[in-house]
Amino acid sequence: MSGEVVMARGLTRVYQEEAVPVHALRGVDFSLSSSEFVSLSGPSGSGKSTLLNIVGGLDRQDEGIIELDGEELAPLSEGDLAALRLRKIGFVFQAYNLVPVLSALENVEFIMQLQGVGSAERKERAGEALKSLGLSELQDRRPGEMSGGQQQRVAIARAIVTNPVLLLADEPSANLDSETTKELMELLRNLNETQGMTIITATHDPMVMGYAKRQVHLRDGTVERDEVVTD
Amino acid sequence: MSANLAFQLSFRNILRHRRRNAMLFAAVAVAVLGSSLSMGLVRGWQYDMMDGVVGNLTGHIKVHAPGYLDDPSIQRGFQLASDYQPDVPSEDLMGWAPRISVPAVILSERETRGIQLVGINPSAESISFLDKVVIDGENLNGPGDGRMIIGKELARQLKTRVGLRLVIMTQGSDGLTRERGFRIAGTYDAEGTGLEKAYVFSGLETIQSLLDTENVTEVSIRLNEEPKKLSIQALLVDFFIGLEVMNWEELNPQAAGLYLFTDSIIYIFFFFIMGALIFGLVNTLIASVMERTKEFGVLRALGMNRRTIVLEVVIESVLIMTFGMIFGLVLAYFSFLGLEGGINLGVYAQGMESFGMRAVLYPIMRVDDFVTIALMSLFMGVLASYWPAKRATRITPLEAMRG
Repeated sequence: MSGEVVMARGLTRVYQEEAVPVHALRGVDFSLSSSEFVSLSGPSGSGKSTLLNIVGGLDRQDEGIIELDGEELAPLSEGDLAALRLRKIGFVFQAYNLVPVLSALENVEFIMQLQGVGSAERKERAGEALKSLGLSELQDRRPGEMSGGQQQRVAIARAIVTNPVLLLADEPSANLDSETTKELMELLRNLNETQGMTIITATHDPMVMGYAKRQVHLRDGTVERDEVVTD
Repeated sequence: MSANLAFQLSFRNILRHRRRNAMLFAAVAVAVLGSSLSMGLVRGWQYDMMDGVVGNLTGHIKVHAPGYLDDPSIQRGFQLASDYQPDVPSEDLMGWAPRISVPAVILSERETRGIQLVGINPSAESISFLDKVVIDGENLNGPGDGRMIIGKELARQLKTRVGLRLVIMTQGSDGLTRERGFRIAGTYDAEGTGLEKAYVFSGLETIQSLLDTENVTEVSIRLNEEPKKLSIQALLVDFFIGLEVMNWEELNPQAAGLYLFTDSIIYIFFFFIMGALIFGLVNTLIASVMERTKEFGVLRALGMNRRTIVLEVVIESVLIMTFGMIFGLVLAYFSFLGLEGGINLGVYAQGMESFGMRAVLYPIMRVDDFVTIALMSLFMGVLASYWPAKRATRITPLEAMRG
């Protein structure tokens, strides 16, 4: 056990696009400690989303080792990875990806339902999570009745309600205006600073990058820069 | 917990596409209605046929002497105590009738025909077709009535009518020919049965007197519920020692075979209709799964296991089938109420007679048929979801979210 939330060594990932291999990651080393807030940045094709997906157990590396909270991911089956994601990772997607037929409250409850949490406890925790993000009045609304910013905040509530080991946000602000992006990133920073949430965001937005205390810049599948930002 | 979530998502997804799923409900309902009606019509024909066999003097169970079926003469008669009552639970017994039934020849002034001469107790014949026939003239007034009733068609063939006397010749208990004149009390119309050409009835005591015997050749027993025939038959076998006790299926194996075959027809119709429906259901479910590729991918990314996704698709299919099935059965129920008076097939009456069917067909729906339709519909809902559910589980989170 490495004592780190994420430990990746020599990660390589190659996609076969028709007849042409695409080297998304080339021997990347990456580690993340508890309560860190890291942004992965880089131009399109740099490998930031690929790294994020491998860390999140959504993709598998072709070479190298990846551990999440001390558990190596490679030997795990698809079912085991899904269970791991459920227990340890909170996801915030670019397209929000709320379940359209569930209300905001039910979307937040949903993860706890998968975990087998009882109904009364689910409702209470989901309600509190929405309240902490200023979304109490939206709890009965469905995603189609909310703005992009509201949906993304509900997605964050869903991601954090189970106190995950790691929060992964892939281009969380890509579909939001700058004002809403600012609000969102303030929220994530607050979660990191007050609750010690460990966060990785993948983004090409400089504003979003600026909220992270550590910035890892990738290019062509390798880490170009990995620096701690001091205010 | 996963089942509750899967149910919640399935139900909400059905409501999400109301128009599309309403069409599907309607399709299921129409298929169930169609299956029920066709089942009911064939079942009605089946029961009509059985009723015809049982009512044509066979009864559900018949007792006769060994060898009588091969040689139906009075020599194969047996004694029946005057105070005999069948030892059958009263709630199961519709009625019973002792008879003499022997081959004979009937002669009019102009024609001669071979017939079956049957001596009856008219009051006991509520169990046979004689209870329902229309009689032109008079019915027999008791077992001692010395007149006869003949079929309308036979009267036409013999060129005779009510009130006239005809001669009947048959073999007596001593083996010698007996003949007697009988006045025609009435002619009966046994529509669609073919019996009126063959059966001539007179009083039981009259025929016993003619044949110089006190015996009967058969005791026919009719039950309130056909499925009880085997258990009642077993009771009667113990009583009528030395005699043959046979049920209608044994007496008429051809009809019995047709009766069983009809059950197969019923289910063949059902499977064809519902099978066609399944293709529509599969098509709609596949479309629903494909539309939700990204959604399923996200659910898997968030940690939902394959089993819950399969359950969601299966529940959606079963819910669609269930709602449609219930609606269809309700429509079927009211349709059967509306068809209580039967369907008049008068135009086809002559052809129907050759199949032992009457001109009016009464659809019948048994409770177990309704239950079968309900259960098979649910099973088909599960079956229809198999391929779409497999498609849903093949979706990997990454591919789905990229797509």
